[in-house]
Amino acid sequence: MSRTDLTALSPLLVVALAAVAVLLLISVRRNHRATATLTLAGLVLGLVSISWAATVTPHQVAPLLIADGYALFYSALVLAAAVVVCLLSFDYLEQRGEQREEFYVLLLLATLGGLVLVGASHFVTLFLGLEILSVAIYVMVAYARSSPLAAETGIKYLVLAGASSAFLVFGMALVYAQTGTLEFRPLVAQLSAIEGSGLALPGMALMLVGVGFKLAVVPFHMWTPEVYQGAPAPVTAFVATVSKGAMFALLLRFFAALGPGEARPLLVVLGLVAMASILAGNLLALLEQNIKRLLAFSSIAHLGYVLVAFLASSAFGDEAVTFYLVAYFVSTLAAFGVVTVLSDNEREAERIEDYRGLFWRRPLLATLMTGALLSLAGIPLTTGFVGKFAVVAAGVEASLWLPVSVLALGSAIGLYYYLRLVVVMLSSLDAGAATESAADSGRTPADPGQTPAWPRAARVGGGAALALGLLALLLLGLGLYPGPLMDVIESSVSPLR
Amino acid sequence: MTLILLIALPLGGGFLAWMLGRFHAQAARWVSLAALGAGLVLALNLWAEQVGGEVLPNDGSWLVEFSRAWIPQLGISFHLALDGLSLLMIALTFLVGILAVGCSWHEITTRVGFFHFNLMWVLAGVVGVFLSMDLFLFYFFWELMLVPMYFLIAIWGHERRIPAAVKFFIFTQASGLLMLLAIVGLAFVHQRHSGELSFDYFDLLGTPLGGVTGMLLMLGFFFAFAVKLPVVPLHTWLPDAHTEAPTAGSLVLAALLLKTGAYGLIRFVVPLFPDAALAFTPVAMTLGVVGILYGAVLAFAQTDLKRLVAYTSVSHLGFVLLGVFAWNELALQGVVMQMICHGLSTGALFVLVGALYERTHTRDLTRLSGLWAVAPKMGAMGVFFAMASLGLPGLGNFIAEILVLVGAYSVNVALTVLATFGLVAATIYSVRLVSRAFHGANDGAWKFPDLSAREMVVLGVMVAGLVWLGLYPQPVLDAAAPALSQLLPVMPR
Amino acid sequence: MFFDYANVFVFALGGAVLVFGGMWLGSLIRPKREGEAGLEPYECGEKPIGSAWFRFDIRYYTVALVYLLFAVEIAFLFPWARVLKEALADDAIGGLALVEGVVFILVLAVGLAYVWRKGDLDWVRGISHTPDDPEEG
Repeated sequence: MSRTDLTALSPLLVVALAAVAVLLLISVRRNHRATATLTLAGLVLGLVSISWAATVTPHQVAPLLIADGYALFYSALVLAAAVVVCLLSFDYLEQRGEQREEFYVLLLLATLGGLVLVGASHFVTLFLGLEILSVAIYVMVAYARSSPLAAETGIKYLVLAGASSAFLVFGMALVYAQTGTLEFRPLVAQLSAIEGSGLALPGMALMLVGVGFKLAVVPFHMWTPEVYQGAPAPVTAFVATVSKGAMFALLLRFFAALGPGEARPLLVVLGLVAMASILAGNLLALLEQNIKRLLAFSSIAHLGYVLVAFLASSAFGDEAVTFYLVAYFVSTLAAFGVVTVLSDNEREAERIEDYRGLFWRRPLLATLMTGALLSLAGIPLTTGFVGKFAVVAAGVEASLWLPVSVLALGSAIGLYYYLRLVVVMLSSLDAGAATESAADSGRTPADPGQTPAWPRAARVGGGAALALGLLALLLLGLGLYPGPLMDVIESSVSPLR
Repeated sequence: MTLILLIALPLGGGFLAWMLGRFHAQAARWVSLAALGAGLVLALNLWAEQVGGEVLPNDGSWLVEFSRAWIPQLGISFHLALDGLSLLMIALTFLVGILAVGCSWHEITTRVGFFHFNLMWVLAGVVGVFLSMDLFLFYFFWELMLVPMYFLIAIWGHERRIPAAVKFFIFTQASGLLMLLAIVGLAFVHQRHSGELSFDYFDLLGTPLGGVTGMLLMLGFFFAFAVKLPVVPLHTWLPDAHTEAPTAGSLVLAALLLKTGAYGLIRFVVPLFPDAALAFTPVAMTLGVVGILYGAVLAFAQTDLKRLVAYTSVSHLGFVLLGVFAWNELALQGVVMQMICHGLSTGALFVLVGALYERTHTRDLTRLSGLWAVAPKMGAMGVFFAMASLGLPGLGNFIAEILVLVGAYSVNVALTVLATFGLVAATIYSVRLVSRAFHGANDGAWKFPDLSAREMVVLGVMVAGLVWLGLYPQPVLDAAAPALSQLLPVMPR
Repeated sequence: MFFDYANVFVFALGGAVLVFGGMWLGSLIRPKREGEAGLEPYECGEKPIGSAWFRFDIRYYTVALVYLLFAVEIAFLFPWARVLKEALADDAIGGLALVEGVVFILVLAVGLAYVWRKGDLDWVRGISHTPDDPEEG
């Protein structure tokens, strides 16, 4: 363990240290604001340390972890998402009387797990990162203990994630049996050396089950709507972004190292998975009345879109995947951010009806939500558009006509439910324009006295406002001027192939 | 820089209108008017310079150009350029924009600032579409038009506005996605030939395309434009959207958004895919004729005034499709004239129907009759624009349709003869409209104020425009001619 | 390319055969004696008392916690202690091995402090008492 090793691992170390420090702080003195501040400081310091770690890239730490530009880029993404979640969580938890401080320990640990995943170059680190991430998320998902759904959600996630981890480990064991190594590079070399695939292919197929579960792609998507709905909104944001993004980063790293001969049978399966995810996600979202579940289905579809670019298995495809993930992170965090700040301690703002007339009650929040939804739908001016363009371009370049057509079809279907939400936010039920309410025949509640006085929370806290403002800026900025980010992505994914 | 200004004016004006509209509704209207007026002055100034030929060339090359790298990684540039064709369309855009602000002066009373914001952003998107010379940028503006238009329909529309808005959005967006696929496909075919990834129009022109590939890519573009135009099997969004939109929305839809489809056909479909377009000509011209006749028949059957006018659009724009695929100078001149004249005449009919609806709260033709006695000015205007719509000689539409028919005759006699019946049908539905609504006894005992001075100005501008185009169309033809003569050789006949 | 998946298929088939084949084989050769005693839960040869479905005292959780802190820790520390001497002699590793061990113990100590402070180590606690820290509530 040299000084260079430590430098390369500094983001990991900072976050790990922050987790311990926060735990210590809680045992010394329970204070929500101090805990949150320390957590934020740890995460920001982690972000800063990335630039320090960048001075030694690429650097292999033992056979376990690698700190190259790719790992650092995704580390930055994971940490930035964690910062946003942390800012959102503060106000959310502030409204609730339960034990709040431990949440931040879990958040830091989960982030640490994500960081380990994106830097993994060995199956052991893969599993280690996955478990650190998952175990923390088990608890975070069930954190709102007073909510009737919390325990149910926690158990569901625990059982399913545990089962999928078992698949993953068993798959690793089979691959190990065939190749005798767990390190990515030698393993890939072994795979191309052996005749036929032997046990390796069954092993990798089993591993795909575990990975597919984390990514929530069809047919391993069943948990998504349940967990999205039952978990507290900031946790949902975290599960939707960090846990999927980190896993995808790892998947991309592994497949980029894999030769075309070995990857091809797996890519066929992933192609089917991608198309099934796009269609199932979009179709299931059509009639959903709960916005968190709706976003869950939409995220299934989005992972399908990313997989289309992934299937291209080219340098351009890698860039498209990465850009799309960034766009997806920004849009999803913005959408769940709005859900978070609209929720109050009674329940979460998750029913579509809660958003009726939001444009006229909370114009800024509604505009941001609209922006996020349009970005998810891939409409220009937003980062989601550039992302979708990159994905389509990557797919067309690789002549993946069938998946790309499915993508286009899925996007068209998807528009319907994103727009439905926008329409609800636009329609007016408030006193100022009650005359128009009759126009929405059949949709409006019969008794105007029952108009949902929801959400009541009038104030957006400073931290959440900062996070949302930042996201709004990124949503628009990356949509209008994606060049610089593309440069960064181009140089950071280049070590992959 | 002028080109940037042309886009920035409505964008910035719209934003300002929104902000000011929160405090003072009237301010939003005046700001919009000022921004659009400035844009119109700018466009007319460019036109004057082109006619003069001293500052700007009038020999058919591009008048003004602006290009900056935007996303160099993907070969995308912020490339705007303007020729006579774009110039005409932009002048029309700003003119119609001003009229749209004018006709919604009293109609829109809620959320005035946000309304003008959306209106101005639609116009900015339309201007962007007419100026973009990079296919990515073009798609960007193409989609940018949709969102504010969707808001215009969904917020300020009539009873069944939400389904109409959603239908409009999904139709245009889904077809737009096909175009996106075609754009990307074309760029990669070009990359395979030249080794360079570029979305620039001028780079992509002349990309050699195989038969099937070319046809598929061409169809991707064609679908997007056919939905906008609209071409008959894909037109079903149009009557709904027109009917439910507020007056300004209908005006902008009819006068401008449909024209982006026509513009796309002229600018992109044929020049980029000449071989495929040539092969597709019989189908496209047939679709055009079907649209002319089908639209006319359905217009005749409508009782809702706005739907009636909407179907006349379908019929009139059939001529555009017919003319574009005839692809000779006469036909294309006719198409350009038709784009402008249809914008004015149909737009004016929507304004009239809107004014009528404001007063009577009905668009039902069976309930309206004898209105001439109540509102003689409105009646006179109604007759004028109905006549324009049916192609009365002396008005712009006549010139346009005759040019298209003469041009198409040299390509396909049978279809041209059939299309001529569209003119006959137009007479029938136009006369029916006028006689039902304005003649006869006032059975409904209607009583309402006649057109106000503001409305007379709005309609008067359109009357003047149509008369001018009908009697002295030469300036418009001259402005478009160099651009068209540049385009003509791409598809030799 | 789908032919590659013959492997996976054979593998899955093999797994199924092992499970269900074993059960089937067992049903063939095991004695079948159905009676009262055979259906009773087995509890170390004693007669079972009461139902097996009752709630465990949550305080056993404390035992598990203490076990984790002190016993599992030892399981990790033994191998470390075993090689520490050689590691210290090795120039490449040097004192780092010692530092790592200390960090490991320190992290666990923070955990212990946290649990202690939270009151989770108290064997007897009032039911009415909230689990929260008495200071903050």
